[in-house]
Amino acid sequence: MTSTVATNRAEIFRPLFAAATYDASAAMCRWTDGLITLTLDEVREIPLHSVTSELGFGDDLLTMVILGVESDPGTVLILTFDEDNARQLAATLTRRVRNTSPEWDELEISALTETGNILGCAYMNALTRLLGRAIIPSPPYFVRDYFASVIQQALVEQAAASDMALIGRTGFHREGEALNWHVLFVPSPEFRRMLENAIAIKPKN
Amino acid sequence: MHSLANPGTIPVKGQAINVGMGQIATGDRATQFTSVLGSCVAVVLWHPRLSLAAIAHVALPKSHGQNGQPGKFADTAIPYMLEQLARMGCPKPGLVAKIAGGANMFRVGGPLQIGDDNVATIREILKTAGIPITAEDVGGTHGRKITFTCSTGEMLIEIAGEKAKVI
Repeated sequence: MTSTVATNRAEIFRPLFAAATYDASAAMCRWTDGLITLTLDEVREIPLHSVTSELGFGDDLLTMVILGVESDPGTVLILTFDEDNARQLAATLTRRVRNTSPEWDELEISALTETGNILGCAYMNALTRLLGRAIIPSPPYFVRDYFASVIQQALVEQAAASDMALIGRTGFHREGEALNWHVLFVPSPEFRRMLENAIAIKPKN
Repeated sequence: MHSLANPGTIPVKGQAINVGMGQIATGDRATQFTSVLGSCVAVVLWHPRLSLAAIAHVALPKSHGQNGQPGKFADTAIPYMLEQLARMGCPKPGLVAKIAGGANMFRVGGPLQIGDDNVATIREILKTAGIPITAEDVGGTHGRKITFTCSTGEMLIEIAGEKAKVI
């Protein structure tokens, strides 16, 4: 019951996340010559202790590109990729044969990081327009690690304020088929207040 | 005999307990705790003679009087763990600690470097409580998956791209 109420409450933010996703999708579509598009999957409040399992990631090692917000270090955007499709995307973007080595080379990392940069900038530009405040992304960086390890540091500011975490999750599609890639937008409590102000709702407390 | 301090939040399956962010769990010789850590720190208090243990997945150093799950903050987690262990008949004398985690996942210049603060606060609280840290694996820039076996007191540490080790 609690979870349902929390989920419904978080849905209030959907129009903002959807607009940011729309712009990010347009940018991704241009960057990949029409190959990849994005759709907003969900906006949820999740108990902190079960964020990883409820998002369906378990203890997986993932390939990720992470961007922060310059003026708000508690807000984080994380792109997660499954290995196979991330390798394929890197090969497509660099116009090379897919790398079969277990190690990622610099060109592949650069291709994924640039993808994160383009997507993240479009996402945050949309939020800048919607919130009437400059949301400037930090330089992106590439990580191969446990998803749970990354998300918990992203959630630190929210954890300081609540036992629940607000997360917006966007999915990717290639020619209409869903990919195992996601964008997770994790706002700080301060950013959440900006979102609430933008849609003119009163904070919970 | 094992239990989660926040009952109902995660079903306990068999003798393996996965401890999420801000949670505390206790267990006996049949129990294994697992947890995945980034900037968070796993604190395990273990009684070698009784093979009883408690674990907290600490996210932040200090609660500043805030309500919430006691396992979330170092300054509320450790007293709560001691209470839980005492209820199981496990006295404070004889307890030892192992800690792991406290990484800086977002590297230099990234958002929120909380891992070091977590580790420093936990060390200080354990020192004040008179509980020695017998092993630790902290810091760095990579996440850790840990498995603690209550019967042996061994903590297996797995880091992406590195050989697993036991502390």
